[in-house]
Amino acid sequence: MTGPYSVTIIVVALVLAAWGFGLVLLNRPPTISLLAGGAVLEILLIGFLIGGIVQMLDSSRHFARAEFVGYLVATVIIPPVGAVWGWGEKTRSGTAVLAIAFLIIPIMVIRTQQVWTGPLG
Amino acid sequence: MAESASAAEAPRQPRPTGSGFGRVLVAVYGLFALAASARSAVDIATKFHQAPLAYVLSAFAAVVYIVATVSLARGDATSRRVATVAISVELVGVVLVGAASLFFPKAFPQASVWTSFGSGYGFVPLVLPFVGLWWLRHTR
Repeated sequence: MTGPYSVTIIVVALVLAAWGFGLVLLNRPPTISLLAGGAVLEILLIGFLIGGIVQMLDSSRHFARAEFVGYLVATVIIPPVGAVWGWGEKTRSGTAVLAIAFLIIPIMVIRTQQVWTGPLG
Repeated sequence: MAESASAAEAPRQPRPTGSGFGRVLVAVYGLFALAASARSAVDIATKFHQAPLAYVLSAFAAVVYIVATVSLARGDATSRRVATVAISVELVGVVLVGAASLFFPKAFPQASVWTSFGSGYGFVPLVLPFVGLWWLRHTR
């Protein structure tokens, strides 16, 4: 949950967010390559969701399980919904929506880890 | 309905609230709709007895955010009115709950979206209704 896999997710999401905000500054509409980057992130997040649930079921530790699954599911939902909503407008505002969706992911991953390591909520 | 749209001034169409900057605003409202509804669903299902007031308010906040998100995204005349009401309720809610959680912390043993003026969410919940109301005026 806290290993290199989640670090990879955080780095990829931050790079995509920086790329997105760069495009916003350049006044660009959302690009196909930014969207493709988002797809890569989404695949990583689906792995995070599955891995997280498998690790949770393997563990007998006491922690806020419902909250943990809630964070995992919400994290997987954000990029595709942001992509659809952002792609719907071919201006820099659409790009900004994608960038925000990417920027939220590291926060979500860190919150998920806090729930995983933390005491019962 | 029609007469209020073209009253007094020259007949100009209000701009849609869900495009341009509004597209970003709807996205942020959508995030809070997701955050508040997921959080309150989990809290109410698993530990409602710990802080019933905070969790009921979280659920209420979730409904307000969902209504604001949908109505801002739709942006027709009726939706504008609905959005104005929802965002006004949001503003009153975050200020009242924020103040109440400072003065009566015992009633809010667990944090929720609006406690301490949304400090758990970087105070975005406090700023968001002002931006929302400004945007509704700006696009009128």
